[in-house]
This record gives sequence, C-alpha cells and structure tokens, in this order.
Amino acid sequence: MSFLKKIIIKLQEYTFFQVDVIKHIDSFKDNWQDTLKEMYLIGTKAFLLIVLGGLFTGIILAIEIGHQLELFGATTLIGRTVALGMVRELGPVITGLLLAARTGAKNSSELGAMQLSEQIDALRAFGISPIQKLVIPRIVASLFMFLPLTLIADTSGILGGFLISNFTFNVDISFFWTSVFNALKMKDLFVGFLKPFFFAYFISSISCYYGLTTKGGTSGLGMNTINAVVVSSAVVLVLDFIFTKVVWELL
Amino acid sequence: MIDLRDVSFALENKIILNKISLQINEGITSVILGPSGAGKSSILKIILGLWKPDSGEVIIDGHKTGKLSENEMLPIRQKMGMVFQGNALFDSLTVEENIAYFISQKKHLDEIEIRERVEKVLSFVNLSGTEKLYPEELSGGMKKRVAIARALSFWPQIVLFDEPTTGLDPINSKTILELINKLKEIKTTSVVVTHILNDALFIGDKLTVINDGSIVETGTIKDILNSTDKFVNNFFYEVYKDVDLINKHIQ
Repeated sequence: MSFLKKIIIKLQEYTFFQVDVIKHIDSFKDNWQDTLKEMYLIGTKAFLLIVLGGLFTGIILAIEIGHQLELFGATTLIGRTVALGMVRELGPVITGLLLAARTGAKNSSELGAMQLSEQIDALRAFGISPIQKLVIPRIVASLFMFLPLTLIADTSGILGGFLISNFTFNVDISFFWTSVFNALKMKDLFVGFLKPFFFAYFISSISCYYGLTTKGGTSGLGMNTINAVVVSSAVVLVLDFIFTKVVWELL
Repeated sequence: MIDLRDVSFALENKIILNKISLQINEGITSVILGPSGAGKSSILKIILGLWKPDSGEVIIDGHKTGKLSENEMLPIRQKMGMVFQGNALFDSLTVEENIAYFISQKKHLDEIEIRERVEKVLSFVNLSGTEKLYPEELSGGMKKRVAIARALSFWPQIVLFDEPTTGLDPINSKTILELINKLKEIKTTSVVVTHILNDALFIGDKLTVINDGSIVETGTIKDILNSTDKFVNNFFYEVYKDVDLINKHIQ
C-alpha cells in the first residue's frame, strides 16, 4: 500500500472516530469519576512540568530580548515583550508541546496496552463503549485542564522574565509590571486562551485514536506512541500558525 | 442456538475465514480445534460481534447479527460471556471490582446484590477470599479463573472460551477444564477454542477441526477420531499414539 493511501485511510478512520466522539461527548457525565481521575492525571500531575517549562521559557526570552534592548537603552520594554510573547505565543505553545509529549504518550500507551491485552475487546464484549468509557473522559479532562495549565505557564514565564529584568538588567519592579499590564489587551488574552482548547481536543483525540488502533505487539505499541506524540506536536505547531496568521488578522 | 452460514472474513487482504458453516447447539460444549493461525479465535470474535463478517450470516438465538450496530448488538451480547486468551482483566481494579464493574453495566442491581453475586461466582471458581487482590498478585491459573468468574457473573446462556488452558500447568489446566465441564450442569452452552487435543477430548461434546480458515471435519469425538481426512489424522497424531485414550472414546 502506498504511503499516500495509508495516510488517506488513517485520516478517514480518524474522521469516523471524531464523529463517534462528538456524537457521545455528553456521556462524560455518566463517567464523571473517570473524568475526574483523568483531570488529576493530565492536569494536576503536570503542574511542576508546566511551571518549569513556563519559567525557563520566560527567563530565556527575557535574557535574549534584554541584551538586544540594552543596546538601545530600552530595557524597560522587557516586561511588555515577555508578557506579549508568553500570553500570545510561547505560553500556549510550550504548554501544548509539553502536554503533547506527556498526555499524548500517556493516552496512546495506556489505550494501546489495553488494546493489545484485549481489554478493549472485553469492554465491547460486555456492552461498554470504549469511546464513552475511555476516550471521552480523557478528552473532556484535557479540555478542562489545558487552560489553567496554560495560565500557569504564562504566569511562570512572566515571573521568569521579571527575575531576569530585575536582577540582570536592573529594571524597576513597578516599571516591569506596569509595562506588562499596559501591554496585554483583551485580544491577546482571547487568542492566548482560545488556543489551549483546540490543543487539548486534538492532542487527546489524536493520542487516543493512535492508542485504540495499536497492533503489532510491543514494537507496534512503541511505534504508535511515537507517532501519537509526533503527530500531536506537529498539529500544535500547525494550529498555532493558523491562529497567529488567520485568527489574529481576522480579529 | 448459534448458526454460522457461509461466513467469510478477511483482515488486511488476508483471508481468515473462508465460507465457514457451523451449528452450535444449546447446553453442550462445542470445541473448535485447529493449529495456530487457523482462524479459531476469529470465529469467537465474529460470534460476539466484535468483528463483522465480510459475507455470510451469523444467527444467534434466531437473530441475524452480522450487520447489527454496536447498540443493536447489546441485547445479544447480554446472553454471552467471553473468557479471553490473555484474560483481559483490568490491572488497576481488584478482583471484586473487575467482576462487579461488568455486572453493574449489565444488570441493574444494588451494591449488596452485586457483592453477593461477586461472592457467588468467586465461590463457583473456588476463589473465595481473593476479592481484594489485584490481578498482578494472582497466579496464571487464578487469573484465568477470575476471567471465568467475570464471564459468568451475569449467568449468560453462552460462554465463549479462547484458548482457556494455554500457558497453564497441568494442574491448573485440569481445574479450568473441570470448571468448563461444571457449566454443563447449569445448562450453559460453551464454545471453546483450543489447539490442545487432550483438552478437546476432555470437555468436548462436539468437535470442529479447522485449518486455513476452512472447516476440515466436524462431529462427535468418535466421528473425528474415525476420520480419514489426512489433516485430521496428522493433527491427531499425538492422540493416536495414546491408544488407551482412543479406545476409551471409540468404545
């Protein structure tokens, strides 16, 4: 089978899978305990990773920008640049990429192992839909948790920027925070906070799809987990581009 | 009770079943025998509706199930329990939860009734007292018995067994086979897939030998042992060596 044909078949399967997910999305109410458990695993447990990811992104951004702005004596603009960079772009993207790796690998390997050990077949045999029982709680949990995690990444990044601007470039605290709050407009917040919902849906649905279609034993499971993470990460970057280019220009 | 008529099934262009016709009668143990890769497990998955046949008809209790959707299959699946080759127990649930979870999905019972039912089926498979253990704490034979208990938890009319003794020691195998024989006492129809000849002779009322997705021979143990088919003779070579066992059945 040609490579192109394989991709088309995968896309077709994924589309049918999405239809099934959307048709039964309200079933998370029946499986609320599973949804809560997934919210804890996907969200709460990722807290430290996101804080570190956001913090160091903000620090690096502030160092790079600070050195350039220093040449023009405009280091007071560090706060503004870091805030806009974090809220509009880096916060959501870093969160998306980190969660594509963490949540994507988790979903794909868990469901893949269940598929290989016939647990998915067992659910179906006993009249339980794997989509409703396993996939929808994961998607809904991601939809709930990605936004707070993005907020945490944004805040950590801005704090990282503050530390650098204050201790390395000697920018006054009040200058920094005034420039941060003056820079952020509703449009920035809207775009920055809309992205996580799309990232959440696609990362969780893609990784669950890969998990449920696992075959070929342990090597197949490994390959599918890699594919789930790679495809989810690529989708995060493509979606971010679409938001930046199209949505930003439309608003 | 179960009637397969000219059922064909292919997976990724490979023919798995080729015009299989098979009748499974009520209250007896039917054994499907054959070498690995002959298509034995596929028959069980088609009976259960996990896989849809490409052509032919599957009739269970007078209902044609070949083209039914997952929802339409639910009432048919209520009549069937399945013991998977790898047991398909949920690692994160205790023995009690593994069984109770499926009972709660099938029957509307309160907590006390569910607990009583769990105790009853665990006692049937001689595993009383293991309720709070996790699957990883059980031996291979115990896991298999939990899988049987789970399949019996809602007293189905039909129980499907996929290679029930594969990988077990002779003592555990005998325990499992005795449990399958015990099901005849409660008028349960059993369909057992195996490649182990002695198991088939120990539990089978009716044997069906398949090879390369086609039925080679079907009938009572005596019919099969008297078969002149070359494949059957080769397949039963090990048994023919045991003259006492043959004489016992032929007489």
